[in-house]
Amino acid sequence: MAGFRVVTDSTADVPAEWCERLGIEVVPLRVLFGTESFRDRVDLTTGQFFERLRQSDRLPTTSAPSPGDFATVYERLSHECEGVVSIHISGELSGTAEAARVGAASVEGFPVHVIDSRCLTICLAYLCRTAAESSSLEAAVRRVEERVPRQRILALLDTLRYLEMGGRIGRAQALLGTVLDVKPILSLADGKVVPLDRVRTRAKAITRLIERLHQDLPVERLAVMHAQAPEDAERIRARLAADLPDVEVEVGEIGAVLGTHVGPGAIGVAYIRR
Amino acid sequence: MLGSLAWLGAHQEEINRLNVFPVPDGDTGTNMLLTLQSAVEDIRESPATEVSKIARIAAHGSLMGARGNSGVILSQIFRGFASAVQDKAELNPVELAQAFEEAANAAYRAVSKPTEGTILTVARQAGRSAAGAAQQPGANSVSVMKAAASGARSAVERTPSQLKILRDAGVVDAGGYGLQIMLEGMLRSVEEVEDELSKRGPARPAAQATLDLPEEGWGYCTEFLIEGEDLDVDGIRDEIESLGNSVLVVGDAELVKVHVHTDDPSRVITLAARYGRLDRLNVGDMSSQHRRIRDEGDAAEAPEPAEPAELRSNGVGLVAVVAGPGLVEIFRGLGVDEIVEGGQTMNPSTQDMLLAVERLPYDHVLLLPNNKNVVLAASQVGDLTGKSLEVLPTHTMPQGIAAVVAFHPERSLEENAAAMREAAEHVQTIEVTHAVRATRSNGLNVHKGDVIALINDRLEHSGTEYDAVVGAALSGIGAADYELVTIYRGQQATDSQAERLSDSIRGNFPDLEVEVQSGGQEHYPFILSVE
Repeated sequence: MAGFRVVTDSTADVPAEWCERLGIEVVPLRVLFGTESFRDRVDLTTGQFFERLRQSDRLPTTSAPSPGDFATVYERLSHECEGVVSIHISGELSGTAEAARVGAASVEGFPVHVIDSRCLTICLAYLCRTAAESSSLEAAVRRVEERVPRQRILALLDTLRYLEMGGRIGRAQALLGTVLDVKPILSLADGKVVPLDRVRTRAKAITRLIERLHQDLPVERLAVMHAQAPEDAERIRARLAADLPDVEVEVGEIGAVLGTHVGPGAIGVAYIRR
Repeated sequence: MLGSLAWLGAHQEEINRLNVFPVPDGDTGTNMLLTLQSAVEDIRESPATEVSKIARIAAHGSLMGARGNSGVILSQIFRGFASAVQDKAELNPVELAQAFEEAANAAYRAVSKPTEGTILTVARQAGRSAAGAAQQPGANSVSVMKAAASGARSAVERTPSQLKILRDAGVVDAGGYGLQIMLEGMLRSVEEVEDELSKRGPARPAAQATLDLPEEGWGYCTEFLIEGEDLDVDGIRDEIESLGNSVLVVGDAELVKVHVHTDDPSRVITLAARYGRLDRLNVGDMSSQHRRIRDEGDAAEAPEPAEPAELRSNGVGLVAVVAGPGLVEIFRGLGVDEIVEGGQTMNPSTQDMLLAVERLPYDHVLLLPNNKNVVLAASQVGDLTGKSLEVLPTHTMPQGIAAVVAFHPERSLEENAAAMREAAEHVQTIEVTHAVRATRSNGLNVHKGDVIALINDRLEHSGTEYDAVVGAALSGIGAADYELVTIYRGQQATDSQAERLSDSIRGNFPDLEVEVQSGGQEHYPFILSVE
């Protein structure tokens, strides 16, 4: 079999339809409730995850796939195609890309090009789609690398609690209010979480988010991603659709791994600048 | 000066009662007294005898001690007086009158929107009357001062005709009356000197007799609050008076503020502790003014602050004026570096705020007064510090909190100031308290003890129940268009009252999110922020 394939991980929130149509392989990260381990989106749907999160008195933890998980997938694909572009969640946030590199090295004589997307969720899915729609592995790598610095996610969290407990709070620490709960607005660009603002109401946060997005126009692709906040997501989509008639604004749901770190109610816009 | 101080001290509570708002912030008399006291203390420490030097010290001392709007204006009166008497060792009657006039001018210049019918009008009339008297044949300093005092008196009597709020409340202007009392006190002590001179030649300074100062000096400036029930203000004052001087004991049955200069602070404290719980204890050795000994929790942030683990990269520090343990914790939790305790009835002095600004390890500082009566004193700090300072004109605690929430530790002073100002403007404040006396104001007929609600500092609603008054206030500001109501529960309100209030708000405004926080503030059972 000729051609190349695209591999990513479950933090990409790739729509199922793309996987089928474009042959994108998704390697799941793991979510652990205590000693119970689930493969993201395989053993546990996003809906089941948030249901469990609500009922659990302990926060789940997450872990990257093992190099062996990747090696298994690459080994299988080595019989189906001539090479792989493997694109993953930012190395600043997860060891997934590193595990992929180690896994790739164990499959001899089969070219696997691992790319740290410096991003996650639908941005990562967009990169996968761009890669899958490319004419060759080389073109795919070039087109993906060109887009990596143009991605940004602006996110509004209902609380910083999850990010703090998950140990990914970074510079957003400075936004934390110890008594009064504040809603932080964060930006993820070039792999890192950067604090943008903190406000007390969602309405203000959403307005601030859209204002900030306007500074980055024009955009190539744009989606609204949410964790259990479909109404707000639809509200943002409608506002963006009115503001940007030329861009198709998709709405998607954040998966369990990212959900563990941002918590229910999180909502964001993810985009690739033109 | 000492005569003024003693006379003002004697009338301070009367002045406090003149406050037009039925909210418990009637402390104009206290503010003026403490401001004047600060000036007098500095003069006592100086050996100067020339008018120009004494006036300059008074101007500086009163500025450092300025509390509340009336205190700040008073400090500007001293400043104007001082600039008029530069280089003069003594004053003739004409020069004295000119100094009074310049004092009034300086006060007008200090206020961005001068209002007639206030201390400003009274200061100007005092100056004009003094100038008239100075032109009379045989004028002397006593006749000039007499004219100033009587000019002040008639100006005070006219203040209700100039200001509607005074007329409605049936009072004269408190600050203006305070100035009148000061001038009268000054006149009394000068007349006593004249008296003594005529009786038995060379005399010791009259004020000494008036104030009865001990030979050995002032000892320790001891200040604290007593919280309790059925406190006997007069009884406490009598007991404290036997232990020191410059005694100031004010308050009501639940809360009494004590200020005394004593050589034995521990005896004063032991005595006071019998009446109730002591709070905000502050003992200062008056020979080394800035040294402070504070009780309990505050010890950790005493003069040498523990070096913060990591300094903010933008080099901007935050100082906020806050009262109430819960609110203090909220402000600290949001990143405020220094808290100056104070607010409604306890306006901090310019110096208190200056020291907090100076203590910060940052060269850029944002200062949040969080009370409209503190804004003016806070704005004086800029002239006194070498740091670059932005004073955000926050009038209420919710405005202060909204501003601090908008603070960003990676942005410059200017960017932060702009964002914080905007955030403060977008929050609505409802302050709920009980009327301390009956009044007619803003079309409302308020009885003593009524529940009243102030929306953004304006008395707008009154009634007998918290729920109903707050409901009316929320409807008044169109709360349905907002998203979040935060209730800061004060010391006087119980958890179940707070719960009932939040349930009632949820019932009336099902789309609003309602959050209850423990503010612990005095005087306001509830402060609500609507955003």
